[in-house]
Amino acid sequence: MSSDIWLKAIAGAGFAAIAVGLSIRYRLGHGREIAIATIRAFVQLAAVGGLIALVFRFPGLALVFVAAMVATASLTAGSRLRGLPGARVRALVSIALPALAATAVLLAIGAFAFTPRAAVPTAGILVGGAMTATTLTGRRLLESLRDDVPEIETRLALGDTARTALAPAIRRAVHTGLVPVIDQTRSVGLVTLPGTFVGLILGGATPAEAAATQLVVLLALMAVELGAGLLLAELTQRAVILPGERVLLLVIN
Amino acid sequence: MSDPDLATRGIDARGVAVTLGERQVLRGVDIQIPPGRVTGLLAPSGAGKSTLLRALVRLVDTDAGTITLDGTDIGAIDARDLRRRVGLVAQTPVMLPGSVADNLRYGVEDLSDDDLHAALADADLDPAFATRVAGDLSGGERARVALARALTRGPELLLLDEPTSALDHDTADHIGATLRRLRDTGLGVCVTTHDLGFADAWVDRRVDLLG
Repeated sequence: MSSDIWLKAIAGAGFAAIAVGLSIRYRLGHGREIAIATIRAFVQLAAVGGLIALVFRFPGLALVFVAAMVATASLTAGSRLRGLPGARVRALVSIALPALAATAVLLAIGAFAFTPRAAVPTAGILVGGAMTATTLTGRRLLESLRDDVPEIETRLALGDTARTALAPAIRRAVHTGLVPVIDQTRSVGLVTLPGTFVGLILGGATPAEAAATQLVVLLALMAVELGAGLLLAELTQRAVILPGERVLLLVIN
Repeated sequence: MSDPDLATRGIDARGVAVTLGERQVLRGVDIQIPPGRVTGLLAPSGAGKSTLLRALVRLVDTDAGTITLDGTDIGAIDARDLRRRVGLVAQTPVMLPGSVADNLRYGVEDLSDDDLHAALADADLDPAFATRVAGDLSGGERARVALARALTRGPELLLLDEPTSALDHDTADHIGATLRRLRDTGLGVCVTTHDLGFADAWVDRRVDLLG
């Protein structure tokens, strides 16, 4: 391993030590937590670095790697959506469909090279964004189905279909799921320099190349997250709408 | 509780049972709600009055029993038609966003101004109410707007869940008089209450639901 890698690892450990020291000095009670998070980060990044090195050597492994990312994202989002029947499968569809479709489009049009080096990180960013949107949309929707029962029931009693009665709750949930990516897109370059841009600049790309790549990633991310939120909302509706224009969670009242 | 003479028109429910989650909320309930009468459904809190009213418009499913509207099983009536023919006014009425007029026109966008004002008048509200912001209304006003909103669907029957529970005595009597007036137009009204005084004063026939 080059000395550069060791230097970065030691510098990272130094920053973690400062954080632990500050936490102890000001009795914040987070020293242990920060130390454990640091060790986890070291282990996880070393492991992922090793795995990606393997993927670069055996390109077929890229598919396995992306599948593992999708599975982990689905399990994570699914576990946040307890109360929704079949949450993990619904999360899997909501995350995989838009994220993988967008990755395929970006590779097909040549925005990124058709290599594991380009495909795996691109899929990772889009799967991560889809996971966030799925979780946020789903949680807001479940909250609505619990808290907005009187409103939903009022709309049904006035002769609405179940879909129409649920529409305001769906709109609110999809909007909630989209807020982070909209804010990220709006503030890009002003508040933060996003990861793709920084990574490309550090990797030696020109600022124009880095900006163009970041732009296509961000805008793809927005479409993917909207797609994930809408899919989850649709799949949730299918789970809670019962025959006779009724809504499942109305019985828990 | 069942009365064969009343069974031909309006709602006739027999042997209704409802389970919510793990709990059987209603078992073996009979009730008739004929047109042109104010039927009082009396029961203590928690006896399942709200659940029964919701079952009558298929907002909750029944485990057993039959419910008919004008002799037709409600399961055979399109749920949306059923809910327009049988208006349900919740105990704590929810005002939808917008004005009172927006609430009255919800789902009946082609409602004429005359019909809108007639519904307000039937609920004992001044036409000027139409422009008020629904969310700003008091409890008594909301109860009346919810009543007017149900009336804009042209129902045959009205089910009101504890319409007077949050109201003072005078306002409750006002609602009672309004219900009587609606009854005189031929509408069937069913009102749940645990207020015996209100029932004695305003109800034509009484059905007791045991908790």
